[in-house]
Amino acid sequence: MPRTRAILIDITKCIGCLSCERACKETHGFPQDPEPALSPTAYTVVEERGDRYVRRLCMNCQDPACASACLVGALKKTELGPVTYESSKCIGCRYCIVACPFNVPRYEWSKLVPFVKKCDMCYARQVKGQPPACVEACPVQASISGWRDEILEEAQKRVLLDPKYVRHIYGSEEVGGTSVFFISDVPFEKLGFATVPSQPMPILTANALGDIPTVVLVGGGLLAGLYWITNRRKQVALAEGQELTPNAHERE
Amino acid sequence: MSIYRLPKITFWRTVVAVIFAAGLYAAYARFFLGFQQSTNLADAQPWGLWVGLGTLCGVGISAGGFAIAAAVYLLGFERYRQVVRAAVLLSFLGYLSVIVGMMYELGLPWRIWHPIVMWNRRSVLFEVSWCVMLYSTVLALEFSPSLVERVPWVRLRKLYLKWHHHILIGLVMVGAILSSLHQSFLGGLYLLAKGKLDPLWYSQYLPTLFYLSAVPAGLAATIMAVFLCNRSLNARVDYDVLAEMSQIIAPLLYVYAVLRGVDLFTHGAASYLWLWREETLLFWLEIGLFVIAPVILLSRSRVRHNPQALYFTCSLVVMGFMANRLNVAITAFQKSSGLYYVPKWTEFALNIATVTAAVVAFHYAVVYLEILPKNPPPKKWLVPDTAATA
Repeated sequence: MPRTRAILIDITKCIGCLSCERACKETHGFPQDPEPALSPTAYTVVEERGDRYVRRLCMNCQDPACASACLVGALKKTELGPVTYESSKCIGCRYCIVACPFNVPRYEWSKLVPFVKKCDMCYARQVKGQPPACVEACPVQASISGWRDEILEEAQKRVLLDPKYVRHIYGSEEVGGTSVFFISDVPFEKLGFATVPSQPMPILTANALGDIPTVVLVGGGLLAGLYWITNRRKQVALAEGQELTPNAHERE
Repeated sequence: MSIYRLPKITFWRTVVAVIFAAGLYAAYARFFLGFQQSTNLADAQPWGLWVGLGTLCGVGISAGGFAIAAAVYLLGFERYRQVVRAAVLLSFLGYLSVIVGMMYELGLPWRIWHPIVMWNRRSVLFEVSWCVMLYSTVLALEFSPSLVERVPWVRLRKLYLKWHHHILIGLVMVGAILSSLHQSFLGGLYLLAKGKLDPLWYSQYLPTLFYLSAVPAGLAATIMAVFLCNRSLNARVDYDVLAEMSQIIAPLLYVYAVLRGVDLFTHGAASYLWLWREETLLFWLEIGLFVIAPVILLSRSRVRHNPQALYFTCSLVVMGFMANRLNVAITAFQKSSGLYYVPKWTEFALNIATVTAAVVAFHYAVVYLEILPKNPPPKKWLVPDTAATA
């Protein structure tokens, strides 16, 4: 995989000023009223957990469940890292929302022409070489962005050098790795982070889908064989001059 | 007899009219007021009754068509030939109701054709949508002779029926494979919900379990439909055939129960079996209706050979099956979603109206087409007016 972009959020540094929320709303043209949870007009929110602030946003997984779930391929993992949503393809089945292990995508339930809404790490800005709006707005560098390998290295350095950190980078292993990382001095379970499988979610369905050729070949062969036997028995019976069951429905 | 008369107002017609009126309002609410006004769906429960009842139950209960068609045409069970058309029609209408259901379930139903041109081979839902499209076509073709027989042009009719005869075996085989694939993939959809689905229902064998439960449910629904046609629509199907069909259901349920049980114990969900909580109670309701009661009842020849009792037993199987699908779609998500989802009345109204439309269509098809063998019609001049109500 080519180099991809990533965000690191250091929970020990966040002061809860909500600059990221405001910048996000501004860049997407949403109304500025603060919202308590992710919504179609809030792609990121800062939640208070005890005396810590935890920012929520799409994790932009390396192998996203939503993108594998989407039957028309509206959700896509881009080369650059962000997971984007092509609204012109979406049919509104909402399987992505069922599939997301982090419960991130939001649906416009109140609209007559509803779409799925979620953070895409400011893909449009990143293509132009700009950082995500939320990262740019952070006054204390609690959120930083960069190339994924460098960001991961930075996170490792902080966690290893400073004993106050929990020795885990949330997002490094979760669902096979994400593009958004969290480091914290409070255990992640206590901050309400989802406990998710460590392998990529699409593996769960890949096995079942891999069975298709087997089912078609074995099933087809079996049915054809059974039909051959049935047919053969009929012919033998005919040849022996036995009577067959009269068929009420057969007509020519 | 050809004098036009206004339809009589009967009890069932009134019921159907009320259902359609409610459904019509619900459709208005869904399309002109939106999801928020017409459903209790939310981001924590993005799939609810319409998926659980409309799609999962609709497709599952329609499994009788492929099973009986395969039994008759491929395995040579000639005795079931008299019910094969009814079974195929039931499945066809079932799939039509699922497709109609999609029109209000999808957020952007006018894009329902997108999967034809926009492909994602990694998506289970993509495979389901293709299988449903193809299998609905197969069912339409399998059913078509019943309609074509009524075409007044003899040559066209003969040509079509001859052509149909040539492809029928192929259709039945393709139908059986497509059905098997997407019946299981409906379960496969929920594989991605690992961690969200309650352990009593999450399993890596969800596809197999969905397949194994759909076939007995489909057979039970077919038996019910044929029984009702015999009772009320002058059909004349040998009850022994229904009894024979029911004998297949019990072993199928048994296989299902064994796999389900082994799976529950091997993936460590056994401890959930005896917890005092709503999910566990609903689990046992499902198992009681779908497996325990029918297996016991169907083991008795007195039940199998008493049409009324057989009908009742089959209705338990169908209800138990529906309990299973609704549990997977709704109950199993309750804890992880933190949302106690109860469908809004408009959700029920649209589902029920769709199913009622299918039932009404089935009724008229059986009355006006050659779906089931019938008793010879009574001599017309002897019929008093009151007996003429359909």
